[in-house]
Formats: sequence, structure tokens, C-alpha cells
Amino acid sequence: MLLLQLSRWLGHTHLGVYIRDSSYAFPAIEIVHLLFLAIFGGAILLVDLRFLNLGFKTQSTSEVARELLPVTVVGVIGMFLSGLLMYAGGTMRYYHNPAFQAKMAFFILALLVHFTLQVGAARNIANEGGGGRLLKIGAVASLLLWVSVGFAGRVIGYV
Amino acid sequence: MPVLQHFCEWVYTTHLSTSIRQSPYSFPLIETIHTVGIGGVVGTVAILDLRLLGWIMKKEPVSRIARQVLPWTWAGFAVMFVTGLLLSIAESQTNYYNLAFRIKLLLLLLVGINPLIFHLTIYRKVNTWDVANVTPLRARLAAISSLVLWAGIIVAGRLIAYVNT
Repeated sequence: MLLLQLSRWLGHTHLGVYIRDSSYAFPAIEIVHLLFLAIFGGAILLVDLRFLNLGFKTQSTSEVARELLPVTVVGVIGMFLSGLLMYAGGTMRYYHNPAFQAKMAFFILALLVHFTLQVGAARNIANEGGGGRLLKIGAVASLLLWVSVGFAGRVIGYV
Repeated sequence: MPVLQHFCEWVYTTHLSTSIRQSPYSFPLIETIHTVGIGGVVGTVAILDLRLLGWIMKKEPVSRIARQVLPWTWAGFAVMFVTGLLLSIAESQTNYYNLAFRIKLLLLLLVGINPLIFHLTIYRKVNTWDVANVTPLRARLAAISSLVLWAGIIVAGRLIAYVNT
């Protein structure tokens, strides 16, 4: 398994060992992860609400999708990198954790669904004026998937 | 015994407090909803703040963004407030002594005063700078203090769990 080998290697790097052994590294990285989450969550919410025709109606879907793209992209990169650091500090513990596995599955799905929609809308492929039916279903899926990512993430600490 | 301390200890013994503490699912579940609420509040506030700083949505008038975003900020606030109250009730006795919890409450108070000043002063004249790429200094200062205070609230909030004795 390539993923297992990569995880083992990551856990044995200086960085991985440092994060695992330090008592401050984990809470510090976790806080950074939450700060990115807060910014990201609001941007995602507004983009999806626009797709659902429930918010930001003064602007077209493609304008909202385009103008908030930097916020969602920076947010997701920040969360991914801080998440990777937390993972490095306990690779084997997370690798076999069912909540972590569920979180990664939700994350990949959410990433695909949300950014396909947002980038698509930003490029004007989707309906210009308001949410088409597909866009609305996609927005609901995106919101549910991101909440599931967050919930599975919170459960990691309890499993 | 100080009144507030006495009150927190009484809250701790109530049925609501003990039932949240004793259930294995309640606390993490409420905590997750609390985090979603924070995302709603801070994320939407941050978008307005970033516009005030001229980082995003520069072509959009400030007042229009404010009008579109604020109902969702308040919805998020309601979720955050109710779940936050439940979490505090569950841990009232220990939270009373928790330094991170005290700092968080203080920051919440300040983050409430910030938009109050903003709306009563510089925002009253918003029509004179609504479409400006670079907003007045006082508007930018309000945006920076909002971002810093909310970040502080998230940091202090997460630390509550780590400084518990």
C-alpha cells in the first residue's frame, strides 16, 4: 500500500517526530486549522446560498463564485496543510481510525463536488442568472458534505 | 463565596448540565454544531472585513455586501450562541476558573462593541465611500480589529479544553 508507506515515512520525518513529541505543536496546529475553517466555512456557505438563490442575490452566481474563489481556495489549502501536519504527528493512529477514514472520504467527495460547481459557475458554464436545478442539488450536497467532513473530524478525537 | 461562582456551581448541578456531561454523544455533537455556527459568523464577517480592506470583491459596494451577508451572520450567531451556552452550562463549574474561558468572554464583549462603534460612526457616511477600492482608515481599522478579535476568540475557545485543570 502506497498510502501506508507514505504515512510511515511521514511519521518518521523530523517534522513528524517533533509534532508527536511536542506538547504545544498539536494544539497550535489545531488552532490554525480552525482559523482557516472559520474563513472557509463562511465563504462556502455564501457561495452555496447563492447557488440556492437564498443569498447574495444582488450579484450573479458566476460573480459570487468567481469573487469568493480566492477565499475558498486559500481556505482549503490552509486546512489541508495544517491537517497534514496534525496527521504527521500521529500517522498510524489516524491511518487506522475509522472516523479519520470517513473524514478523508467525505473530504475528497466534498472537494470534487464543491470545486467542480464553484469553478464551473465562475467560468460561466452554469446558468448565469440564478441557480439551475443541478446547481441547487449540488449546493445542498456541498453543504451536507462539508458538515460531514467537520463532524467526522470532531469524532476522530473520540474514537 | 462570590455570587457568580455560586451561580456557576448551581448551574453545574442542574439536570441540563449533568445530562449533557453524562451522555457520551451530546458534548461532541453540540461542539460540532458550535463550530459550524462559528464558521457561519466568522466566515461571513471576514468577507465583509476583507472587502473593507479592499482584498476581495472590490467592485461591489460595501453596503450591498453588508446587507447580503449580515442576515446569515446573525443566523450563525444564533446557532453559535445557543450551542455555546449549552457547552458552558455543561462545564460551568470548571469554566468559571478557566483562564481561556474568561479571556474568550472578554474578547466576545469587545467583538460586540466593535461593530457598534463602526455602525454609529464611519458607516453612517457609507454613501460617500461605498464604492471606494480603498475605504477610510477608520473602516479599515474596524475590519482589522474584527479579524484579530475573532481569531483571538477561536484561539481562546480551543484553549479552554487544554488549560482545564
